[in-house]
Amino acid sequence: MGLIQKSSSNQELRHYRGNIPVGNLYTAGIAGDRFFVDLRDKGRLLGTRCPSCERTFVPARHFCEECFTRLEEYVPVPSSGTVHSLTAAHVDLDGKPLDPPHVLAFITFEGCAGGLVHRLGGAPGQSFRIGDRVEMVLKDRKKRTGGINDIEHFRPAKGSRR
Amino acid sequence: MGMRRVAVIGAGMTRFVRRAKETPKELSFEATRMALDSCEMTRDDIDCVVHGTAPDAFDGVHMKAEYLCDGSGGVGKPYTRNYVGGGTGVFAPIQGWYHIASGMFDTCLVVCEEKMSSCQPHPQGAFLTIFDHTTERALGPNLLWIFALEMNRYMQTHGITLEEIAAVSVQNKGNALDHPCAQLGKKTTVKEVLESEVLAWPVHREMVSPTSDGAVALVLASEEVARRATPKPVWIDGVGWTLDTAYWCTRDLYYPRYVETAARMAYDMAGITEPDRQIDIAEPYDPFAYKMLHHMEGLMLCGKGQAPKLVADGVTARHGRLPCCPSGGLLGVGNPIAAAGLMKIAELFWQLRGEAGKRQVPGTPRKGVAQAWGDLMQVGTVVVMGA
Repeated sequence: MGLIQKSSSNQELRHYRGNIPVGNLYTAGIAGDRFFVDLRDKGRLLGTRCPSCERTFVPARHFCEECFTRLEEYVPVPSSGTVHSLTAAHVDLDGKPLDPPHVLAFITFEGCAGGLVHRLGGAPGQSFRIGDRVEMVLKDRKKRTGGINDIEHFRPAKGSRR
Repeated sequence: MGMRRVAVIGAGMTRFVRRAKETPKELSFEATRMALDSCEMTRDDIDCVVHGTAPDAFDGVHMKAEYLCDGSGGVGKPYTRNYVGGGTGVFAPIQGWYHIASGMFDTCLVVCEEKMSSCQPHPQGAFLTIFDHTTERALGPNLLWIFALEMNRYMQTHGITLEEIAAVSVQNKGNALDHPCAQLGKKTTVKEVLESEVLAWPVHREMVSPTSDGAVALVLASEEVARRATPKPVWIDGVGWTLDTAYWCTRDLYYPRYVETAARMAYDMAGITEPDRQIDIAEPYDPFAYKMLHHMEGLMLCGKGQAPKLVADGVTARHGRLPCCPSGGLLGVGNPIAAAGLMKIAELFWQLRGEAGKRQVPGTPRKGVAQAWGDLMQVGTVVVMGA
């Protein structure tokens, strides 16, 4: 190839293909295991309370990142919360339109530190705003596997009004 | 040099296991919590945090250091990750050292973690792409092949026998029986090692460290803080690190010159002129049995080709004149890459304080050296410690 020639396709150049052949297998961990087993079997959200900071982390964590206490007090927390922020995805990773858009929110729970990122759903055309009260909708018990998708989505809380 | 003295004042580690239930963050937390407890410190007493961890592919978390930050006590602190392959575990305390030696901070948490069981089907997969993609990868090499080439070259150059190398596995796995965190401690024999499966001649299965999950943490402090915190600080007397060429075919594999260069740097700083006489206890990096010997020579603890004789004569045994890998090493305690290197520093800390329990070497050891190695067999990291 001459100096002033231009190739805009790297497939025309000498090339080598390769990949890094690894997959992964993760554990949920000490606290994660308790959280997901409880979600699957009892359909509730579990947090851990830090006795020195007096904060309750949800989802449950094994340690307090601030005071570095090992957290051993597991407490159920209410499964309805507040939309802290939200977004609607209108295109997927390949640029294809998503219709209806996927609505994702960061949901906080009263009296708790942390929160969950999850889908928002409800009646078709349902709209959401920051500050909305929402409640957890679970999959049927038999379909739950002990993962974050055991939660179908969060929908407007019963009796909530803007 | 205008540098301040730096001491290790606390250490902690998790058990090394084949597959931990804990997440990588939780492993880091347990080691860090233990290290803080050991010197009665809290996270508030820590000025900065250094995390050492090897490829992201092991834990299966990209930008793993950021993910591990809260488990390592790094939230809201000056926090950095370092990564020099297998040499990481001995480089992490070096990075912690210059944070304090420079005068910038008074205390530093140094944490190393690896969860290799996340990597499927085997962490070897992550190593396949360290080779040159045009000249080597097409041949399908794996790590065992290149270690086999290096081991064979080492044996050939000095006329070393397989039995002499198998004796390292016997020693280190035996030492690990006394380590409460060990994964593969066992009483074994040269015969048993040589009867194990040949993976890539001359490397036998029992000459190779396992893949492991685990974490280790240290608390480093300036002299002023160290003297207040403990009557038994262990000083970091010298540090050294080097990187050799990545064209590994231009190196003569029989001798790890990158270890020698790093060791000379560390010894100069520590005032060590005759390492074979002045070092009381050594933790050379031993992911493979021959590597302990190879690295003893690079550390100038003996002449080239002389290390096998020291093992055969019992000099390197826990009760010998120059105990090498009294912890049990990577062959016995396990090899969660970065954490395994830091385990060696923790071992020197416990040994030099007389707190190594059943592993304690006799007498009153005053000087120790720990070393790790990695990347494409090209990085050497060395720390000299003194009671």
